[in-house]
Amino acid sequence: MANPKTLTRSKESTELDVPWNVIVHDDPVNLVRYVIFVLMKIFGYNERKSTVMTMQVHRQGRSIVWSGEREKAEFYVQQLQAHQLKSTMEKSQ
Amino acid sequence: MTVMPTLEGGLRIDADDEGDWELLRSIISDANCCQTDLASRLGGLMTDEAVSEDWEELIVPDLREEFQDQLAEIGASIEAAIFNADNGPGPIWITPDDAYPWYSSLNQARLALEEIHHFGPEDTADPLNMDPNQQLAFIRSGFYSDIQSLLLRHVMK
Repeated sequence: MANPKTLTRSKESTELDVPWNVIVHDDPVNLVRYVIFVLMKIFGYNERKSTVMTMQVHRQGRSIVWSGEREKAEFYVQQLQAHQLKSTMEKSQ
Repeated sequence: MTVMPTLEGGLRIDADDEGDWELLRSIISDANCCQTDLASRLGGLMTDEAVSEDWEELIVPDLREEFQDQLAEIGASIEAAIFNADNGPGPIWITPDDAYPWYSSLNQARLALEEIHHFGPEDTADPLNMDPNQQLAFIRSGFYSDIQSLLLRHVMK
């Protein structure tokens, strides 16, 4: 009896990960100066960049403060929530 | 009550009487006054299916513990100061190392009051159209906010 032979064909495909956005939402409690302080502390942004993002939160209701891979986005949202900022993450469109 | 910066980079709060101590105690009771705690409220914002379940299971309990630890620390400081002052006039110090737990506790209290009373932005709220209970809560929230501003300006630089 002939040995059955199995042909194995492998196929690799690479798909680019869609980046995740980290979003800070406006709320009537957190002070502007505190939000600037938290963005500088967590992301290492300078005061100017943190201020621009904070004013965007204040005026437009939300600001994308960081984009990138999912695990890092989760870490940053956890840090923002630990500082009591309303924050979420969503897949970039 | 008087709140002033110290030469060591912190704040000193001088309570004048029992009423002032009660006001400081209310930071903790206000922070705990919501049926749904802050960690769960923040976790509830995570509506994306890909992350919401893990968030509720893994992150929310950690945040809850962190927030409660901060409240316990500040509550203990306040009770120790009240004991030392024999419930009369006396000081309580906020050192630079204590600044963040203080800020966090005050913020938890303000977030909880906002969740219940929906004051909205401070400059548009109208205390004259609030019931007495809301008015008192609004005044406490403003007092907490003032201490937070001093912490940001003088301590958490």
